[in-house]
Amino acid sequence: MMAKWIELVTGSLEQKKQYRQHKARMEALAEPYRGAAKALDRYLMYYAGVTDGDTLVTMMGDAVDLWERAAVDGTPVRAIVGDDPVAFAEDFARAYSGTQWIDKERARLVAAIEDAERGETR
Amino acid sequence: MANQMTEMLKGTLEGIVLAIVAARPAYGYEITVRLREQLGFADIAEGTVYALLVRIEQRGFVDVEKVPSEKGPPRKVYSLNSAGRDQLGEFWRTWSFLAERIEQLHQGEN
Repeated sequence: MMAKWIELVTGSLEQKKQYRQHKARMEALAEPYRGAAKALDRYLMYYAGVTDGDTLVTMMGDAVDLWERAAVDGTPVRAIVGDDPVAFAEDFARAYSGTQWIDKERARLVAAIEDAERGETR
Repeated sequence: MANQMTEMLKGTLEGIVLAIVAARPAYGYEITVRLREQLGFADIAEGTVYALLVRIEQRGFVDVEKVPSEKGPPRKVYSLNSAGRDQLGEFWRTWSFLAERIEQLHQGEN
């Protein structure tokens, strides 16, 4: 009962566990991958604007998979992110179709235009 | 020029990657290598391909199998499924339409 109530307020405990595991894997990466992984993670948190925890945790886990693979193969950081790290991070984030804060505003714009359209045909 | 290439490629890369995995299942790095070496997109970053694979997986166009590798975590091998084949068909129709119209415009210039 108490656990359920806490989850309502803070998101699921399972999610938190996964989040911590992903963080730990990120910290365990060798340099320069750790630095690159943390920088990407930070940008994704700002840019993605994802508000549901499941998507956030999935995105983070996929990013860690990518860096772990790169570290094992010895792929240079630049070969992963390309010439434009910002474009790379934003493309990466767009792969996830989770709930974003902007969704509410998108729905609002669509509804407002529909209202305006109805006014036109009167 | 490099920038225009990047922008134009962005819209078509998904179709290109679907076509690559349609030929045979592959993991991320193999797909990047084919894009670079066989198709000549030398500047493509591995992460870009990875992000795209994540997207087509999320949209249900590919099946994913985790195959153990000699070292490190298992590799995800992507293969096209029936939804992906439909999407690829749609991509080729759209591509043909666009290419034809743009070529007409180009011919008209001369």
